[in-house]
Amino acid sequence: MARLHRVLLYSSIFVSLYLLVLFQVLPVPLIDAGTVQDILPVLPWWLLVSFGSYSLWTLGWGVFTFRDCPEAYQELLQEINEAKNDLRSRAVTVD
Amino acid sequence: MNPFASPVSLNMQGQYNTSNTHKYSVILPTYNERKNLPIIVWLLAKVFEEHQLAWEIIVVDDASPDGTQEVAIELARAYGEDKILLRPRAGKLGLGTAYVHGLNFCTGDFVIIMDADFSHHPKFIPQFIRLQQAHNLDIVTGTRYRSKSTPYLSDSQPGGVHGWDLKRKLVSRGANFLAATMLNPGVSDLTGSFRLYRLPVLKHIITLTQSRGYVFQMEMMVRARALGYTVGEVPITFVDRIFGESKLGADEVVGYAKGVWQLFKSV
Repeated sequence: MARLHRVLLYSSIFVSLYLLVLFQVLPVPLIDAGTVQDILPVLPWWLLVSFGSYSLWTLGWGVFTFRDCPEAYQELLQEINEAKNDLRSRAVTVD
Repeated sequence: MNPFASPVSLNMQGQYNTSNTHKYSVILPTYNERKNLPIIVWLLAKVFEEHQLAWEIIVVDDASPDGTQEVAIELARAYGEDKILLRPRAGKLGLGTAYVHGLNFCTGDFVIIMDADFSHHPKFIPQFIRLQQAHNLDIVTGTRYRSKSTPYLSDSQPGGVHGWDLKRKLVSRGANFLAATMLNPGVSDLTGSFRLYRLPVLKHIITLTQSRGYVFQMEMMVRARALGYTVGEVPITFVDRIFGESKLGADEVVGYAKGVWQLFKSV
């Protein structure tokens, strides 16, 4: 099953559960009904905002911790010079 | 304490008393790489000789007008016809088909794919090989984003890039985040193209991939994971565009997003 189809399947199950509870077809156990009716309508927006802030955090942290490697560049330049000299002695054209 | 988790034991992983008898083929697709090809071959040869590994390099040239093929022939004379194999093609036909073409001539049992423009340094190849041997992995890929390898390797250096400004880094992280969220690939660097594959694994995956460009490398990794092949990662340093400028336009971004969506739908 492709990832899209799996995602669609799970999300349709969760959305239908959510709608059933929202329209009070199914009761939510252990929580007071009034509290449930207060929280449920804003649940999707909460999920969206949480995902947004998670994404922002991941991106920001990723860019902050993105390492630079100047020493690799210097090492590479030296190796290129060494390579050119060695290759000239082996009759390979390098310019 | 767990003796298998002690420093001595972890350092020993992947190192054996007997010599490594596998043969490693490197496929180098080239187009106008006359300046870079001799040096990358020199670096590869140096690394392989230092570690006493059997090797060969397959140069798949797409009819470069600048004389890349002449340089390849000179290199074959210098290093041996059995070590540098020039297998040219008639025109500029693309990266995926270059690998397929190169695979026809591989006599090794492992294949390394990498860029010929110094962005991938051959000095990481022994680390790839060691990780592969320690855990019997099917694929080892290089990652620019991590500082430690997955699974553990004692001598891995932190990864990084050189020559990227803030905007480029942000775009790169954004692209990877998008792909990771949509596809959950299990590797930290999806668009990287410095990889070690077992030969039959590469042959299998490459028959299934359909996309091109950045997305091609991504698709190979996602398909490999979906098929159940084991993948490890080693941090690498990526020196971008030592000659020339990097181009990343809006077209490429849109193409990339479309590619991710295609993979999401099909794998």
